[in-house]
Amino acid sequence: MTYNFAAIVPELMLIIGEPILMLTASTMGRRATKITTWGTVALLIAATIAALVGTEPSSAGPLFGGLLSADPFAVYGKALIYLSAAVAIIAANSWFARDDEHGPEYPILILLATVGMSVMVSATNMITLYVGLELNSLSAYILASYRRTDARSAEAGLKYFVLGALASGILLYGISLLYGFTGSTQFSAIAAALGRDEAMGIGLLLGLVFTLSGLAFKISAVPFHMWTPDVYEGSPTPVTTFFASAPKVAAVLLATRVCIEALGPAIDAWRQIIIFAALASIFLGAIAAWGQTNIKRLLAYSSINNIGFVLIGLAAGGAAGVSAVLFYMAIYVVMTLGAFLVVLNLRNAAGEPVEAIDALKGLSSRRPGMAAALAVFMFSLAGIPPLFGFWPKLMVFNAAVEQGLFALAVAGILGTVVGAFYYLKIVKVMYFDEAEEELHYACGNLEAAFIGLFALIVSPLGYLLIGPIGSAADNAAGALF
Amino acid sequence: MADVAAGYLPILLFLAVALALSSAFVGLPMLVSRLTGAHRPDPEKLSEYECGFPAFEDSRDQFDVRFYLVAILFIIFDLEVAFLFPWAVSLMGTGWAAWIAMMIFLTELALGLVYAWQKGALEWE
Repeated sequence: MTYNFAAIVPELMLIIGEPILMLTASTMGRRATKITTWGTVALLIAATIAALVGTEPSSAGPLFGGLLSADPFAVYGKALIYLSAAVAIIAANSWFARDDEHGPEYPILILLATVGMSVMVSATNMITLYVGLELNSLSAYILASYRRTDARSAEAGLKYFVLGALASGILLYGISLLYGFTGSTQFSAIAAALGRDEAMGIGLLLGLVFTLSGLAFKISAVPFHMWTPDVYEGSPTPVTTFFASAPKVAAVLLATRVCIEALGPAIDAWRQIIIFAALASIFLGAIAAWGQTNIKRLLAYSSINNIGFVLIGLAAGGAAGVSAVLFYMAIYVVMTLGAFLVVLNLRNAAGEPVEAIDALKGLSSRRPGMAAALAVFMFSLAGIPPLFGFWPKLMVFNAAVEQGLFALAVAGILGTVVGAFYYLKIVKVMYFDEAEEELHYACGNLEAAFIGLFALIVSPLGYLLIGPIGSAADNAAGALF
Repeated sequence: MADVAAGYLPILLFLAVALALSSAFVGLPMLVSRLTGAHRPDPEKLSEYECGFPAFEDSRDQFDVRFYLVAILFIIFDLEVAFLFPWAVSLMGTGWAAWIAMMIFLTELALGLVYAWQKGALEWE
């Protein structure tokens, strides 16, 4: 086996930086919070640069005997994950500042989760995949219950842990069946074995179903979505912000790589499953969100709904479908982080964070800029042109139509219309309802700059980015074929 | 047939010895304590021992969360030893790469211990 450490420099940076920050945290106690926060952000930015710069052709092949790959697909995922994790860390600062729950461990846990996600998007072997997934999940369970004194946060952590462990068990069972019937945990070897057999045996089929069920849980696709609203609502809002961004990207990219690289020859088998999950996610995400009164729950259903559209791209398959998935995830992360940044900075008169949708009443008269930004994010999440959220949806439907999946595309478009209702409801509450109570808005300059930047990206000006993001996504998708 | 049965002689012997020894372990103390007059049962002596908790209670009982911390630290270092055994046995075959990998793993565990120590996880009071 050869060791090509040059290809995993981003991961090495994070892994070496983590214990240093951890010991700083334990030696200095709470005073280290600033150091670990900005240290982690600096590490993540440095790792992004290392990932983007260090893409030499020699590192594109299999690494460490085929356990990992640093191909353009992995690099695309890493850059997206590192940057959104950095934003999630910065966004937590002012929210946690109002009480002393914000220990220096918060950014370090996110750093550990980021290393796990980095392995997830690079894995080309089922065992590496599982190790990365677990490192990400274990950090996430702790993060969900980060506010130990808050019963809801503890409940969210426990629910997430129990259901997550169950999903991991299902995934492992699927992997063991695939290994048993193909003789390898290597993606390429599994694909070769699937390609050899003309008819798929029941054992392989079960392995595929269990593996996809485990992955569907991690991307919170219906019918494995039930944990999402509870965990999103109970977790501290900065943690929810993180959950909705980077881990979603990692899990979607992981599922894409498994479907295309490992299960590629069995596309007729998994396409049915993905199509069902896509349509169920779109419609359940859209309809269940109607009655919600908590904005975090609403955004949880919004993420389920968006995952449905992403899965349409995956169901289409092919380079165009994968490229649409990658493009969608980039824009989804920007819209979601933007919406959560606004929610993070809502305060009532006592300075407590508010989560009720009713609290947004009359926001437009008090905080016009903020209301406009949230309205932009909502319109964009609904996919209403000319905002940028429309473009990735168009790409996804285009990929589906190219593959002859007309019914799927039509159903997806119907789902968009149903989903638009609750996004528009938020806009209506902000602009046309009378305010009941005083709403404060404690937004730091950095957060305001981020909200402004993200709103600019999803505004029609974002179409200027189609070139660079599109070519990066095409390049990344090309690495899988 | 006799050949087959002879093949199982070791396990038969083992079971016989085990039965004899375990009866002796159970029987002897009871017998000796009665003979020497040390047999004075009281409720504390007769109760089952289970990690320092009363054995039969409602499971929704409160107990000290510090037990968890100790147990988790124990499991980590217990598993470390479980890793070390196969590693040590196969080291001649796996070479320096395995040695370096294990040293990295041990360093990480040591760093974790330092963290737990500095956080006061090892102090009972």
